[in-house]
Amino acid sequence: MRTLRVRVNERAYTVSVDQTGKDRFDATVNGERFELEVATSEHIASWLVRYSNEPIHAQTRVLPNGKVDVWLAGIPFPASVQAVGIGGYPIAREALRQESIGGEVRSLMPGRVTSILVKEGEAVKEGTPLLILEAMKMQNEITSPIAGEVKSVIAKEGATVKKDSVLILIE
Amino acid sequence: MRMKLLIANRGEIALRIIRTCRKLGVRTVLVHSDADRESLPMRYADERYALHRSTPSETYLNIPKLVTAAKDSGCDAIHPGYGFLSENSDFVKACEESGLIFIGPSSAALEKLGNKLQARQSMKDSGVRVIPGSDGALNDEEEAVTVAEAIGYPVILKAVYGGGGRGMRVARNSDEARRFYRITKLESISAFGREAIYIEKRLENPRHVEIQAMADRHGKVVSLGERECSIQRRHQKLLEEAPSVALDESLREELNNAAKRGLAAASYTNAGTVEFLIEKTGKFYFLEVNKRLQVEHLVTELTTRIDIVEEQLKVASDSHLGFSQNEIAVNGWAINCRINAEDPRKNFVPSPGTVIHYHPASGPGVRVDSALFSGCSVPEYYDSLIAKLATWGANRQEAIQRMRTALDEMEILGVPTTISLHRELMRDEGFVHGNFDTAYLNAVLPRLNSKILEYEKLAAVVAAAGRIRSPVAQTIGVYKSSRWRSAARTESMTGQRRAG
Repeated sequence: MRTLRVRVNERAYTVSVDQTGKDRFDATVNGERFELEVATSEHIASWLVRYSNEPIHAQTRVLPNGKVDVWLAGIPFPASVQAVGIGGYPIAREALRQESIGGEVRSLMPGRVTSILVKEGEAVKEGTPLLILEAMKMQNEITSPIAGEVKSVIAKEGATVKKDSVLILIE
Repeated sequence: MRMKLLIANRGEIALRIIRTCRKLGVRTVLVHSDADRESLPMRYADERYALHRSTPSETYLNIPKLVTAAKDSGCDAIHPGYGFLSENSDFVKACEESGLIFIGPSSAALEKLGNKLQARQSMKDSGVRVIPGSDGALNDEEEAVTVAEAIGYPVILKAVYGGGGRGMRVARNSDEARRFYRITKLESISAFGREAIYIEKRLENPRHVEIQAMADRHGKVVSLGERECSIQRRHQKLLEEAPSVALDESLREELNNAAKRGLAAASYTNAGTVEFLIEKTGKFYFLEVNKRLQVEHLVTELTTRIDIVEEQLKVASDSHLGFSQNEIAVNGWAINCRINAEDPRKNFVPSPGTVIHYHPASGPGVRVDSALFSGCSVPEYYDSLIAKLATWGANRQEAIQRMRTALDEMEILGVPTTISLHRELMRDEGFVHGNFDTAYLNAVLPRLNSKILEYEKLAAVVAAAGRIRSPVAQTIGVYKSSRWRSAARTESMTGQRRAG
């Protein structure tokens, strides 16, 4: 039995894993038990996970530095895995970068800013439309994640923006 | 068939058209943007023609470039696919003026059904019920509010030249009517190159059912049966099936007749779809005509065994339709799941990127129309549809069972997709029992999404097992390691030495 600490997105899970055969594993998380079987040994491995409901298929790609990419039904779950040693302390230290989000309104996708709907100094509520970002032929209304004041409008109308670029600051 | 065809489209539909052309011996020329230079259909077209640059307006929406491409490469016909210029009357005229056969309706039919407003009028004239709404395009946002208040909220703002579910917003009050008028207009300009907007009353939770028809130049109009398209979000179809559980034989007959009457009155030719909204009472309204090959045409192909693209090419070159109405037999049941590069966890935000791994579903009763391959890119410039996964069964139950299996087999890694949503939908009681309308998906989305969020726990389990199974980081791409370093890392990462 091995105990591992797994971070997926911003949540941490403590997972106990027992290897029960060459390609078979039993795992427990929060008291729930799962049976896993792995099918291929290419750089992307294919898994069958059995739990209370129906089995689900998953794929993994093991990367350096304790990172494991996991996909379930096509959804990516980038995970980082650390072994838990004596006393429950993580052995491998990994800087877990907590993204500072706050009032940064970031672009969720690459696209083009077609129109900016707010001005600096304007008060906004949570959900107030801030700007319109065109991506894949769709006009996407980007709304404020929090209530506050528009501190700075970084995006420019007509400009092409990359994924994750800061568009607007709200305070 | 003696024809050389320019394909003025990209992705899966370009490949779909090429497949039929190769079957018929029609030579193909595929135009392509810079972003699509390494796309899958490029491998199978007989010739390729670069349009340079990548934005739609510089490539697949650029009429002069496309006409020049067709002339330069000696084509006699153009297939527009769906989206882009498929329903653009200027493009059809430009083709006609250059002596090119446009694979679609004639310009005369387009003039009658040219835009959504004209289509409304034409259907009204042939005795088909239309949804209450504005009689013409709106001049400004204040007129939008005036008309909306006259017919009563909620209303739908629609791009007169729109299509494919784009350029449409529901407004529930005057504030939204103003705001969405502006957004719809922007969307319309960017997607369709025109800004005209009109308003229709929004019906309460109708079903969306459409009739696929084919018409030749000799006056024959044949219905290939209906498709049920009520599973939608943001007015975008996400899943289609044929036939529809909502129709009994008499309602089916009525819809077929209304569709054929409307198309015949407009002297329509080629493939066309008449969309209807059906209220719970069975009262139906004309919604719009799609004057093109549709995304979901494959479910009709699966139930009728007709190659719709082949019939399109025949009809466009003046041949008679290869069948008459009494030869059309709808056999079994087909379902199509649209696989879009969108992230269901982030409100379906489009997610372009690189597909690092692709493995399609297959097997009895499974059809995949896609242009994916491992390593292909999903460009940010175009539609988010990357694959259509369709299954056929002797009945609806079998089609659903096959879809569940097919969705499990379909592996698309690198860009988030709607596969997870379809997986949950195939297990959703309302869908499985056929109890749904156009509001259904939005209503159950939070529930389906909460199931998808539960995947995270599973992901943690798989990550842990994956790490134990292959503790040594494998050499992938740029990452280089020595065995000594790997072993040392393994020990430090898994804690083998200290935890023991």
